[in-house]
Amino acid sequence: MNWLQRYVRPEQVRELSLLLLIIVAVIVFGSMIDNYYTSRTFNRIASSVAIITIVAVGQTLVVLTRNIDLSVGSIVGCTAYFTGTLLAQNNDLHPLLVVLAAVALGSVLGAINGVFVAWGRVPSIIVTLGTLAIYRGLLVDLSGAKTVTTDSLPSWLVDLPRVNLFAIGEFDFRAMFMLALMIVIIFQVGTSFLALGRRLYAIGSNPDAAKLIGLPIKRLVFLTFVLSGALSGLAGFVTLARFGNITVEAGRGLELEVVAAVVVGGVNIFGGSGTIMGAMLGAIMIGILEQSLFRLQISEFWRDALLGLLILLAVASDAVILQRLRSLWARADLKFIAKPPDDGPAPERRAPP
Amino acid sequence: MSALGRLKSWEGLLLALLVIIVAVNIEHSPYYLGVGNIVNLFQLSIEKIIVALIMTLVIINGEIDLSVASVMGLAACVLAWLFEMGTPMPLAIVGGLLAGLAAGLFNGFWVAYVGLPSLAVTLAGLIGYRGIARILVEDHPIGNFPEWFNLVGQQPLIGPVTVSIVIFALLFVIIAITLHSSALGRLVYVIGNNLQAARYSGIRVRLVKMTLFGASGTIAALAGILYAARLGSVRGDMAAGFELDIITIVLLGGVSIFGGSGNLAGVGLSILVILNLRNGMGLASITGNTQTSVIGALLILSVLVPNMAQTISNKWNGRET
Amino acid sequence: MTESETAHAAGAASVRRAEDGRASVPVLEMRNIAKRFDATQALEDVSLTLYPGEIHALLGENGAGKSTLIKIMTGVHQPDRGEILLAGKPVTIRNAAESQRLGIAAIYQEPLLFPDLNVAENIFISHQDRGQVVGWREMFRDAEAILAKLGVALDVRSTARGLTLAAQQSVEIAKAISLNVKVLIMDEPTASLSAHEVAQLFKLVRDLSDQGVAILFVSHRMEEVFDIADKVTVFRDGQLISTRPRSEATPQNSITDMVGREMGLLQPRPPTPQGDLLLSVRGLGKEGVFEDVSFDLHRGEVLGFGGLIGAGRTDIGLALFGIEPATAGTIVLNGTEVTIRSPGESMGLGIAYVSEDRRQLGLSMPMSISANITLPTLRRYLNRFGLIRTAMERATAEAFRERLSIRTASVDLPVAKLSGGNQQKVMLSKWLNTKPSVLILDEPTRGIDVGAKAEVHTMIGELAAEGIGIILISSDLPEVLTMSDRLLVMREGRQMAIFDREDANQESVMTAAMGQEAASEGGVAA
Repeated sequence: MNWLQRYVRPEQVRELSLLLLIIVAVIVFGSMIDNYYTSRTFNRIASSVAIITIVAVGQTLVVLTRNIDLSVGSIVGCTAYFTGTLLAQNNDLHPLLVVLAAVALGSVLGAINGVFVAWGRVPSIIVTLGTLAIYRGLLVDLSGAKTVTTDSLPSWLVDLPRVNLFAIGEFDFRAMFMLALMIVIIFQVGTSFLALGRRLYAIGSNPDAAKLIGLPIKRLVFLTFVLSGALSGLAGFVTLARFGNITVEAGRGLELEVVAAVVVGGVNIFGGSGTIMGAMLGAIMIGILEQSLFRLQISEFWRDALLGLLILLAVASDAVILQRLRSLWARADLKFIAKPPDDGPAPERRAPP
Repeated sequence: MSALGRLKSWEGLLLALLVIIVAVNIEHSPYYLGVGNIVNLFQLSIEKIIVALIMTLVIINGEIDLSVASVMGLAACVLAWLFEMGTPMPLAIVGGLLAGLAAGLFNGFWVAYVGLPSLAVTLAGLIGYRGIARILVEDHPIGNFPEWFNLVGQQPLIGPVTVSIVIFALLFVIIAITLHSSALGRLVYVIGNNLQAARYSGIRVRLVKMTLFGASGTIAALAGILYAARLGSVRGDMAAGFELDIITIVLLGGVSIFGGSGNLAGVGLSILVILNLRNGMGLASITGNTQTSVIGALLILSVLVPNMAQTISNKWNGRET
Repeated sequence: MTESETAHAAGAASVRRAEDGRASVPVLEMRNIAKRFDATQALEDVSLTLYPGEIHALLGENGAGKSTLIKIMTGVHQPDRGEILLAGKPVTIRNAAESQRLGIAAIYQEPLLFPDLNVAENIFISHQDRGQVVGWREMFRDAEAILAKLGVALDVRSTARGLTLAAQQSVEIAKAISLNVKVLIMDEPTASLSAHEVAQLFKLVRDLSDQGVAILFVSHRMEEVFDIADKVTVFRDGQLISTRPRSEATPQNSITDMVGREMGLLQPRPPTPQGDLLLSVRGLGKEGVFEDVSFDLHRGEVLGFGGLIGAGRTDIGLALFGIEPATAGTIVLNGTEVTIRSPGESMGLGIAYVSEDRRQLGLSMPMSISANITLPTLRRYLNRFGLIRTAMERATAEAFRERLSIRTASVDLPVAKLSGGNQQKVMLSKWLNTKPSVLILDEPTRGIDVGAKAEVHTMIGELAAEGIGIILISSDLPEVLTMSDRLLVMREGRQMAIFDREDANQESVMTAAMGQEAASEGGVAA
């Protein structure tokens, strides 16, 4: 048991078990659906996962600091729509500029959330429940309920979702999926290797201690909301590229899927623990569920019922099962420490008995 | 304690706001205060304000129930589903109410006995119950309910006052008495402002929380069924997003999001403010979406303003000493 | 010890340091520090000097002012008067982060770690100079090096959440060392450590002192203090009573300094004739908290629970009240064996527990006095519709207001408006209204003024005279000595002794509470 406890942390048990669950789900669905193990299934899941994943990365940052951002769906809708309108009017805008515009708009909307939470001391659930409605309302009003149509968009954007960066056999690695993967890697590295990222964990883990050692809590919380907004903006751009036709309803309800992905992915709703990779696994789990239920011709509404149950089980397992696991690990530690030092230098790690 | 002072001035603020809104509305439409319009005013949002009453208790108790709108939809869909299968309407109504009770108790179980945060549990409920509702009715609206059921939603009962409004008024009185005069109400406050002191006084905290979540589910179900009666048909997405208005009403009414303080008079005033505001915006031809934005802004302001007021008064006091 | 002797001792110490070839300049000097909290003078004109490399122990009862002094050193509180000199230069310490920058670090009994971060991160979290990129390999290596220096075998990659208290403490020490502190404050660091762990910790402390770190060491374990300290300073009632070098200090003179206050104002409560056996507890225990506690309580008797905070006295109260039920032992009430699993059951049996923490555990501050008083007994005040009979409720509150002379304009006011003493009376009313046969009072006079204190004492006497069996948990030694018929002394979860009234005095009780067997006189070991 020792080597296991050395290399596998309780936190990783959570992610590993999700990975296992994903494999089981794939096997189960594979046995129920004909032609499941094909590149088509993979490609479909990959492109539907891309949007959720990008937003879930930002949400993870927010949740790590003991907050929540429910306005992401509306931000995605706003940026998708306004970027689309901009592009429809100026077809020859440089692609990079378009992406930047989407990210900038998202950041501004996120910053508004951040100001209210960090300096207004309004609980994030209240602020973002409010801005969820406000951003959507603004979108509907300013747009006059018009729709962005695919024909009005430049061809580079319309073709973007089918652009293959590379393929392994039949499995296409499309631009959108690779973009999501890149975001995941960047933020995974950022949260693991930057002092800034580690401070987010510190704030969520023990706010009192964080205050005592003088961490700039308000600025960091603000930053997470800006990043969540910026990534939602990016996801808005991806939404625009993927669907082409953007109504004012774009992204509605996305916040629920995203929160589900984050929580199912092992990010603790109380903050302080969880990883970006985990959130991506959560998004993949949800993507698989979504596509497979669709293929099974089971009402898509089953997905929501299952999502609700998954969130509940994820939160409950964090609260109940992880506690148990941790105390198991702790007991193993205790034995190690209680060992008197005069037995000679403590062996690096003992082999399993 | 300054909280008390704040509360009083908060209600004063609401009253002033109400007077201004009503005055502006009368300016727009001279018949604004006519009985017909007032009944209409209530009738248009009756389901939300019914649920806001029980939400007041839940939030004072230090919890939150985000799943109410989904429970409303669930109850209506259970009713429609039972009806479509040939269940007599009264039984279908009972079925809908029981579904709401079950959903509420399910939430309560995870909060009270497992100790999970109500925010997470009821967010899961918001998604899950909506999913179940949609599984039951799929994509098509279900209607053709018996005539008497549809009348429950619209029929004037006393003068022009409809059944729903009577139910709201009764509930308002019952919940006001419960909150301010009964043992349960006392316990709701105590648990909300000091859960540990409640425990140390031998109060069965879990039971109180279960009761509240059960009641929240049941009343949301009742509101959902009234909504179905008013619309005459049931859809899977009915009442979606109502939690925003409901929570806004409660917090605007001066109930602290952290629990332990607030009263039903404030919530009553806040109901009037929101109803008149929505109606006034309608008169001024402001669209439903802008209205929702305004409600969202009110939600944030109702927590932000007292926070800022406290910060300023703290600074002021700090300077004095 | 007189002022001049104290000064001489300090001088001698500095000379000694000078002879050692060490700097004789004090690293930290606190001059004439005073601090007041509302009615309490927490510190009065305290001057304390720390030299590099000395291990300086602070002794004193709970509330003697040690914690306040530490909080001033670490920037949590600001002194009302006096100055702080660091290496001879006056400084102001505005917050904890600043005190750390100045080279002062504190380790508390409850370590303040980030449970989700790993051990290495916790050690280096305050380091601003490690750059924006976390070099995990280096950080693990450095953390392992520091821990190795401390002789602690700890996996630097595991999260702090899983660690034992001892291990967390090691991390705190490693953190302090990594900051190159000049002054290390240790506030009861050994309270939750095993003997082996304490030995390791002390080795560490000595190493640090050899490296020139000044260590301020607070402990209630006398043998530890005399094992490790170079100097012993005793506090009492916010004043510094004495500072002695190790060679002159003894457990006896230290205890005398700690308790040597005038008993003057407090008259011993006239003993009440002992009634029938009410409560009989045998072998009561709760895993990891307290064990093997046995006592009898008679009608009309005041049984004092003495000892220091954290000795397990409150936990016995909580076990009897069903908040944290006991896991071992038997409770016999009125001749019947009972099990108590919840406060409801306990109240049903006629047991009432008045908590030590009015604010967090006792009262609902924004609610009215009458609502607070009737809270546990609300059922009695309901009419047949389940509504509260406010007139009856108010009548009860008025009766208690009269009986306990609660000073308030109205019983409808929120308790938050009352003074501490009157809040305490509301607490008492609340529980007396349950008509208990066993009343557990936990620190009933903490933080209230002298007048209210005397009233509470009178009240306790009257209640005992009415035949209620009272368990009085108090860290106020004169109080518990004058009020109790018998006195049970706890130390670290174990029952040390039960004294009869005539055998109990300040020295004997404090000696038992601090685990000093030698000086115990006439104490009946349980």
